[in-house]
Amino acid sequence: MNPALLLLFVIVPLFAAGLTVVVRQAVLDRVLFLAVPLATALGGVLLLGVHARPEHQVLAHNVGSFVPGIAIPFVSDTLTALMLALTGVTTAVCGWFLCVTGEDRYRFVSPLILMLTAGVNGALLTGDLFNLFVFVEVMLLPSYALIAVTGTWRRLGIGRLFILVNLLTSTFLLVSVGWVYAAAGTVNLAALAGQGAADPRIGVALALVLFSLAIKGGAVPLHGWLPSAYPETSAGIMALFSALHTKVALYALYRIYAVGFGEAAAGWVGWALVAVVVATMLVGAVSTAAAARLRVAFAFQMVTGVGHILLGLVLFTGASLAAGLFYLGHHVVTVGGLLLLAGAIEQTYGSGRYDRLSGLMRRDRLVAVGMTLGLFSLVGLPPTSGLWGKVGLVLAAAQARPVLAAVLLAALVLAALASIMGLQRLWEQVFWGPPLEEYSPDDPQLGRGARTVLPAGERIPGRLAAPGLALIAVSVLMFLFGGQLYPIAQSAGEALLQPGAYAEAVLR
Amino acid sequence: MILAVTVAVLVAGGSYLLLSRSMVRAVFGIGLLSHGANFVLLTAGVPAWRAEPLTGESDPGVMGDPLPMAFVLTAIVITLAVTVVMLTFAVLGHNDDTHRMPPTGETHV
Repeated sequence: MNPALLLLFVIVPLFAAGLTVVVRQAVLDRVLFLAVPLATALGGVLLLGVHARPEHQVLAHNVGSFVPGIAIPFVSDTLTALMLALTGVTTAVCGWFLCVTGEDRYRFVSPLILMLTAGVNGALLTGDLFNLFVFVEVMLLPSYALIAVTGTWRRLGIGRLFILVNLLTSTFLLVSVGWVYAAAGTVNLAALAGQGAADPRIGVALALVLFSLAIKGGAVPLHGWLPSAYPETSAGIMALFSALHTKVALYALYRIYAVGFGEAAAGWVGWALVAVVVATMLVGAVSTAAAARLRVAFAFQMVTGVGHILLGLVLFTGASLAAGLFYLGHHVVTVGGLLLLAGAIEQTYGSGRYDRLSGLMRRDRLVAVGMTLGLFSLVGLPPTSGLWGKVGLVLAAAQARPVLAAVLLAALVLAALASIMGLQRLWEQVFWGPPLEEYSPDDPQLGRGARTVLPAGERIPGRLAAPGLALIAVSVLMFLFGGQLYPIAQSAGEALLQPGAYAEAVLR
Repeated sequence: MILAVTVAVLVAGGSYLLLSRSMVRAVFGIGLLSHGANFVLLTAGVPAWRAEPLTGESDPGVMGDPLPMAFVLTAIVITLAVTVVMLTFAVLGHNDDTHRMPPTGETHV
């Protein structure tokens, strides 16, 4: 395969975004914003096939055919292809949900989502730190608009918070990329391979890059913006953001840590990461119990998931990286599915608050079954993908040095227990209890209407629940076909252990 | 040294403005901060006066590093775009960034 084709992952969504702005045609909008993410996912799967062959493990293209090392490289390996496939599928399913709720009819939603796709694909593929900053901005700019398109009244105020936090972090990222350039004379990731561990000045600069990415990923202690901002936008948009933003930041953390520091990072960067990981796992899990709304609980579960995913990076062995990456995939699918199911509940009954919902288990059996499986998956129980993620992490943590292993295993078990307690509260309040009597249906003029008596036949429509149930089904399939899927995460982890091959392919 | 002091002043002013409640002041704060960030980028490659990085115009030995200049140019464009978005957010929702708005009847869903 010609590596120059990698550019299509950015060009096609950007062109489609422009097209949907110029040609205002409802059917074209809908077709493009579903087809382009699906095409991205297909491209990702094809790339996975290409990377399975030993001679094509890393594909790199220097944009504009400038001298390698000077040019901006687009690089793809198993990890990139995996992320492209994963984000593509999730974006398409979230798009499906937005079509069902009619949110895609709001002005410029389709072009914004296409631009978001372009930014995500670019950030996943680029091999240049400054270009990463640019693509992260391309990804965030449409999000600033999307977060305020739909949701509660508070979305405008929370949109301000979201912009200011992300922009401040981006400024910090920009400054640290500048410092990387000042210390190393290059921002090409391949040229920086192993430099972070070799030269302390480059190490500090790269650690600051990792720090800004950790804020964008939602790691404790700078996670506060995530559970305040995300639940105020609509469920479909929140599912989209949860699958894309934080996960792209985590991907960049994996990539830059692996290439820049590698196994030699055991010093202070490694210990700082251990502290962040343990705190993130515990704080997110414990905070779940304090939530009073469905999507707030899931936002805190996103935070604890970030800790679990970064656990793979802390240990930096083949097994731990594979487990962390599998957990990343599992988390995207599970949280996406749960958020879309929560969105279906909110859309039907007009509220996601625990005190306004009760007894859904007997009303909406299918949604209750999907929700159960999703919650099982978050905690790590079979028959869902969460089991393999947790098992992999526990096995990898058990192989670490004794003290580190004890700390990490204790954090994993405590986080799981706290998550169970928090999610049991959710289950008990929303799905058990007396039958639901009142709801707030949508008013065609005013949006959300007044609370009225719930008609006997009112149920969550199947078409509204279908996108969420589809993602939960993917999670169950990831459990059933774990033996086939885990090796992909393993080969992605193996590739991270050999930054030499990555650098060689780019600088050739 | 002058560049370092300038960055310090810009970042101090930007942080102060960013901490205020009004969105417009926060936007100005972000403006100052990103201006400071641009100066930091410039120090990475152009710490003192250098010639233009144009081949044929100046001697390569005295040329400034063009890459940080390109970084700054890109960063300025992005900041401009985001500033427009932020100013839009400052206008939307009336004064609810600085004042508690009268109840609209809407509650958290």
